Amino acid sequence: METKLNQIVIAAETAIKGAQSIHELMNLKSEYIGKKSEVMNVMKTLGSLSPEERPAVGKIINIAKQKIEALIDEKENDLKEKEYLKTLQDSKLDMGMPGYAIQYGSLHPLTIVWREIEDIFISMGFDIAEGYDIEDEFHNFDALNTPEDHPSRNLADTFYIKDDVLLRTQTSTVQIRTMEKYQPPIKIISPGRCYRNDRPDASHSPAFHQVEALVVDENITFQDLRDTLNTFVKKMFGSHMKSRFRPHFFPFTEPSAEIDISCVNCGGKGCAICKNSGWLEMGGAGMVDPNVLNKLGIDAEKYSGFAFGLGIDRITILKYNIPGLRILYENDIRFLKQFTFNN
Amino acid sequence: MRISYKWLKEYLDIDLSVEELKDKLTFSGIEVEAVHQSNELLDYIFIAEIKEKRNHPNSDHLSICQVFDGNETVQVVCGAPNCEQGQKIAFARVGTQIGDIVIKRTKLRGEESYGMICSERELGISENHEGILVLDNDAPIGKPLSRYLDIADTVFDVEITPNRADLLGMIGVARDLSAQLDLDMQYPLLKDYNRSDLGKYPVEIVEPELCTRYIANVIEGVTVTESPEWIKQCLIAGGIKPINNIVDITNYVTLEYGHPLHAFDKSFVEGGKIIIRKAHKGEKFPALDHNTYELNGNELVIADSVKPIALAGVIGGLNSHIQNSTVDIVLEAACFNPSQIRRTSSEKKIFTDSSYRFERGCSDKVAETVAQRAVDLILTICGGKLTQTNDIYPNPLDEIIVILRPSRVTKLLTLSLANSELISYLTGLGLELVKEDNDALSFKIPSWRKDLTREIDLIEEIIRLHGYNSIESKPEKHEITNKTSFYLRRKVQDFLVSQGFYEVLNLSFSDPAYFDLLSLQEDDYRRAAIEIMNPQGQASSIMRSTLLPGLLKNAVYNYNHGQENIKLFELNKVFFKSEKKLGTEKWVASAILSGNIGPIHWKNKTESVNFFYLKGIVESVLALFPLNKFQIEPCTEPFYQENLAAQIVVGKKVIGTFGKFDKKIADKFEFEKDIYGFEIDFTQCLEYQNKKGIIFTEIPKLQSVSRDISFIISKEHSVQKIVADIIQCNPKLIKEVIPFDEFTGKQIQSGFRSLSLNILIVPETKSLTDDYINGLINNIIDKLKSKYHIEMR
Repeated sequence: METKLNQIVIAAETAIKGAQSIHELMNLKSEYIGKKSEVMNVMKTLGSLSPEERPAVGKIINIAKQKIEALIDEKENDLKEKEYLKTLQDSKLDMGMPGYAIQYGSLHPLTIVWREIEDIFISMGFDIAEGYDIEDEFHNFDALNTPEDHPSRNLADTFYIKDDVLLRTQTSTVQIRTMEKYQPPIKIISPGRCYRNDRPDASHSPAFHQVEALVVDENITFQDLRDTLNTFVKKMFGSHMKSRFRPHFFPFTEPSAEIDISCVNCGGKGCAICKNSGWLEMGGAGMVDPNVLNKLGIDAEKYSGFAFGLGIDRITILKYNIPGLRILYENDIRFLKQFTFNN
Repeated sequence: MRISYKWLKEYLDIDLSVEELKDKLTFSGIEVEAVHQSNELLDYIFIAEIKEKRNHPNSDHLSICQVFDGNETVQVVCGAPNCEQGQKIAFARVGTQIGDIVIKRTKLRGEESYGMICSERELGISENHEGILVLDNDAPIGKPLSRYLDIADTVFDVEITPNRADLLGMIGVARDLSAQLDLDMQYPLLKDYNRSDLGKYPVEIVEPELCTRYIANVIEGVTVTESPEWIKQCLIAGGIKPINNIVDITNYVTLEYGHPLHAFDKSFVEGGKIIIRKAHKGEKFPALDHNTYELNGNELVIADSVKPIALAGVIGGLNSHIQNSTVDIVLEAACFNPSQIRRTSSEKKIFTDSSYRFERGCSDKVAETVAQRAVDLILTICGGKLTQTNDIYPNPLDEIIVILRPSRVTKLLTLSLANSELISYLTGLGLELVKEDNDALSFKIPSWRKDLTREIDLIEEIIRLHGYNSIESKPEKHEITNKTSFYLRRKVQDFLVSQGFYEVLNLSFSDPAYFDLLSLQEDDYRRAAIEIMNPQGQASSIMRSTLLPGLLKNAVYNYNHGQENIKLFELNKVFFKSEKKLGTEKWVASAILSGNIGPIHWKNKTESVNFFYLKGIVESVLALFPLNKFQIEPCTEPFYQENLAAQIVVGKKVIGTFGKFDKKIADKFEFEKDIYGFEIDFTQCLEYQNKKGIIFTEIPKLQSVSRDISFIISKEHSVQKIVADIIQCNPKLIKEVIPFDEFTGKQIQSGFRSLSLNILIVPETKSLTDDYINGLINNIIDKLKSKYHIEMR
């Protein structure tokens, strides 16, 4: 019987080694050690043996069965490995083909710069104040100390809706409305759209965007104004940037100044953009005139404040080196596309 | 650390409620972690008298007492050997709860008993359980024991920060409170001894760096016994178990001053000399915790001529401790190096009240005070006579002077206090004003405040005692930003950019001619535009009331410049005439779409813009607010194609429209391709915003079930209604119905369509059986059949 089992094992080994697929292997498994296999048939004869013989014979049968099982396991692993390698081979692809195309649009560059300015001032503790585009003369001119006969009040300069209603010419209107509503401490910027009766060209647009800042509190000094502007300029254009003040006149600030910043193009060395001066004009600034505060019911002896205004359009064209304002409002997709991911 | 309110009153005339005191402690830096009312039980134990006592007929050790509690006389069986007729005793009536036991009416060996005569241990007063508590004869019968014994107390568990070793004693805490509350501090009176007559007890400090001062006092002829009640009560309140009068006194003084002491039985100090030295390597030390420690030579020990008798500052020895037989003692008051104590304590894993205090740092000066205090108490309580003394203090510490500038206090704290107030706070803490110049107060720092070395430390003390929360707030900056609107505008912009839209910015001026191009009715709200008095031309003569004409012009411009696929949006202001002087300004979000939805791709084919893409974008924008209760319904917007125009409605208010531009209108704007658009009233949406915010809801624990149904239905019926009807069948279980297929074609009769819906069922409390779900689905089908005459596929 032992010889017979050996023969079965040898036959099984040859068959198993030749198996080409898992399916074929499973068939061999049932053929050699399945319920109806020869090995099992031999096993069934155990009952007819005497109790003394049974253990020895049983052991022989089990050894044969285990040998076949081991062969099958080994082969099964081989076949699985081959299948795996084949899957790897089949799944090879040209990774050069484009990935799923997810097309972003873009924010308008003015919005990008607008947000950047807002975020810089928010990080410095400012609030964002918003107001009306359509304003009355009081908030746009009177409250800001503008004389009755000041040329900026002309129809040639300002768009009017009615005699005393107009399109705001600066967002200082929001400063006035804020001071009417709140007592100090006040620390705001007011970004927004402003209007002046200018014919559109490379440096003018009848509608444009401005951000103004207003800080009113105890002990606010000229130093705070300079520091705030300097910090903003460095955060906006880079830590190497500087700002300087030139004395000027604005009706609602005293002292008043115009702000220059280092030329964003040459960094101050002098180039065509800054006309070799190394400086670019960026806006106006000053300490809030005590008259303006008093008129609004804020004690100008106790409180002081500063204000400044900057042009968002101008900052945008400087930042991106855009030649003139006109293209900003053409809304050409080929232009807008350049600002994808820049927000 | 535990602070007994009653004990505290020994040093301070203080009468705050428990809550008030708790706050005073916590807000001056002594955090109260828990408050315990000690012995509430004593409110329910009454003083009674044993009127009569006789022996129990069936027991040798029990007696039967007739007890009068001021109210009635009851029979009580008592097992105490010391109970006698005529005694005033502490009586627990039937129904009183002592610990976990409720006193019940009971029978002991056949005799009725109606209550219990208590021992000290049962009352939680002491560990004594040898007999009942016998009160003085003047004790008033019928009064609660708490009124008579005066041991009701409140104990505060406080956390002392590691920089404040001085607060590890009652006096330290009392002193801190006295400075805060401006109360006088009553220190214990110390007797002055004439030490010149006394012999010198030999002490040798081998390690002066590790033991900076050692005071030994020898008292001979003491009687070691139980401590008086008041000491025991203090120790128990402080969390220390009373042992005998000598040990209890050293512990009492430790708790009082926060400076540990130790007493040795003089007869076991061999050679009659105390040596403070490093341990010898391999030396064995039997400690009071009944462990024997093998020393490695790094430990500092107190030794006699032969053996170590204490691990310095950590634990005493079993070979020299005070026992009932002790007659002569050596009392130690010393000061050890904190790091040395910390190292030994953690190496040996021995943590004692003593090591806890020494490792935080004790004062050389206070060592002298506690020595004297302990001698006083021992002589008074235990008897005996002070016979020998010694005080080895090799390197007395220098005085520390710190200068405080009142101007600096003001500058740093925004707090202007008069110099007298500053001085009062600091002298209250034990600092001594030694010089007062203009803006310079010089203070001598007491030895127990090693943490005060700089001006800033004094400033901290001042604000700590004055109260951090007493500093007035600056005027608050107003919240001016309209955050909701501000950030939602950004969110809408960002979302549309993420979906491939380009943002445009058009000037705010417009041309009234556009209203006719858009076929707006005469009474259309958009015709109420604000006119400019001095416009630059007709094309810019009004303020725009819709953003769509500008966007259409942008589309034309871009199409003419070669862009086939156009997705543009603008989020900006529009203006209307109104009764207000300045008119009405609103934000609107508008877009136009033409061409393909997305870029071409070899694998992911793109579609052309269509109504449902547009609808998806609109719904997503509304979800950003979020705006959840809106309806989308067909409408007649004059410039959108009939049947392809929809409006967004909340309640009865239209907050936006979208659709496909009518061919004829597009032609008028000279745009020849299909083009879609939407305009949403952003300002109005903000009003309908769901402001609830996100609140977590439990994740369903039960598996949800999803079923599909497909049927043929007349084109007349809107899927919106069908979905609502299905949910209505069981709104608790049916969470979602999603149309996932729709088609018409040859197989389907004209005027009909095939619809497939996915129904999501989420069980709430129990899993649903297949039968139940099938029943539910059948109900749904029946309902749809009867209402819409559907035919199942």
